[in-house]
Amino acid sequence: MSFTQIARSCSRLAATLAPRRVASGILIQSQASRMMHRIAVPSMTSQLSQKFGVRSYSAKSTIEDIKFRVLKVVSAYDKECRGRWQTQLVRRYSAKPPLSLKLINERVLLVLKLYDKIDPSKLNVESHFINDLGLDSLDHVEVIMAMEDEFGFEIPDSDAEKLLKPADIIKYVADKEDVYE
Amino acid sequence: MAQVPLAIVSHKRQVCSLYKRALRNLEAWYDRRDVYRYRAVQLRARFDENCSKDLGEGIRLLACGQRELFETKHFQPRNFANSAGGCAFEREVIPPDWVLDYWHPLEKAQYPEYFAKREQRKKEFVTWWEKQYGKPDPKDLGHH
Repeated sequence: MSFTQIARSCSRLAATLAPRRVASGILIQSQASRMMHRIAVPSMTSQLSQKFGVRSYSAKSTIEDIKFRVLKVVSAYDKECRGRWQTQLVRRYSAKPPLSLKLINERVLLVLKLYDKIDPSKLNVESHFINDLGLDSLDHVEVIMAMEDEFGFEIPDSDAEKLLKPADIIKYVADKEDVYE
Repeated sequence: MAQVPLAIVSHKRQVCSLYKRALRNLEAWYDRRDVYRYRAVQLRARFDENCSKDLGEGIRLLACGQRELFETKHFQPRNFANSAGGCAFEREVIPPDWVLDYWHPLEKAQYPEYFAKREQRKKEFVTWWEKQYGKPDPKDLGHH
């Protein structure tokens, strides 16, 4: 499951939670809690990791905090690109959504914002993963794997070690998918 | 995975590669995302507790890890569609650019504007090349 899929389910959740729509409480609440399960899973693992003495990476790791953070990032993303490729009216048979540089930029930044070891306020396109954002090399591997899952192609190690900024990733994806505007 | 190793890779890069392959292996074994995340956190903790060891110990641990990965390898790992082992690997073959030079003149005549521009571009490229690298040595010209 890629981050975009998680984001879509989150935005659906945000739509069900919006106050103007809450008419019949119980039904929506149950649907919301069913969806919340998908978001709450990473935090469950962090609770487990605390129990077994594994290092916890994010500073605040309660379910409420993670829920707030994810919903904030996702609703900002959703507001930004409402009514575009996520709700396309034309059916595309097994074709990917049409990519543009702007769209690649947004998707890369969304994946990075949803990663719990990156502080979204420090993140911008030119920030260096290791020097500015304080990730280590294994975190960088995880970031690259998230990008592979997001865009659906493999990034070999020799290329991955050169992708040290979000801008590099955007350029690499655009070159790979032959996007130039 | 998909490329031939042409240089000696550093220890750090080998560890990163092992971590990535181990995560992908876990992903193949545990298809439920929550179960996979749990195993992934455990795996990360195993890597982290050895991160401050010295190089000799690190090399030994790396060999152990690679053996463990080999022994626990999934029998049918998941691959990306377009990478080696995937269902659409090499499905779309993009012909190289020089193929166009071998079209029959009658075929070329069907696209006169394009081929006129192409010839022009080839001339420009030759002038650029000679400006950049100088005239070619006469004994390098022609076939051997």
